[in-house]
Amino acid sequence: MLLVRAIIRPEKVGLVMQELASAGFPAVTKMDVYGRGKQKGITVGEVHYDEIPKEMLLIICEDADKDDLVKIIMRTAKTGDGAFGDGRIFVSPVEEAYTVSTGKPGL
Amino acid sequence: MKEVMAFIRTNRVNQTKSALSENGFPAFTCRPVLGRGKSGIDPGTLDIVLAQGELPRNSVGEHLTEAGRLIAKRVFTLIVNDADVKRVVEVIIETNRTGNKGDGKIFVLPILEAYQVRNGEIATDGY
Repeated sequence: MLLVRAIIRPEKVGLVMQELASAGFPAVTKMDVYGRGKQKGITVGEVHYDEIPKEMLLIICEDADKDDLVKIIMRTAKTGDGAFGDGRIFVSPVEEAYTVSTGKPGL
Repeated sequence: MKEVMAFIRTNRVNQTKSALSENGFPAFTCRPVLGRGKSGIDPGTLDIVLAQGELPRNSVGEHLTEAGRLIAKRVFTLIVNDADVKRVVEVIIETNRTGNKGDGKIFVLPILEAYQVRNGEIATDGY
């Protein structure tokens, strides 16, 4: 199993969640995050913003579904050809999973 | 070391906190999140949830739009030694299990290194 953490633009969340649900990935957790990337934030006029609001989506998937999942997020969260600030996706391993209501292991 | 990530009902947070400290796992981080599970949410269940007061009224309109109906949950993150993972998972399941859908999920992830900020030492456990 893998944990896919996608940090995306807040305005793209609705679309990404919708696409994920229709592609068979209904289970998603969303959290508000603030951060900056390689571009060190943005400067608008005199003001420098280095804590830019983003949304982080957490999705746990089977290894085989990872490529699909990443592709869907890439396609829907994109705003243009290589626009800065569209976000990042990180994939990390998950060793075990349990469902609380049944106590059983597995997704 | 392992990271135990538990997504649980917001009205079980206090019980979970005390159960964890009673069992010797006082250290944790938790934060509010919104999410949905495998089954989605049907309007009937939503009425029951609202009647129980699990979701604050004012956040419902904001988050339960047609595009994505989301339920408020709390995510607990604990860093524990390999040997303790089983016990932590048991404690969380015991405290949060009601037998209904939406009780939550627990995930176990590997942690490669941990450092103590106070003195720069490599931490050998989660505390």
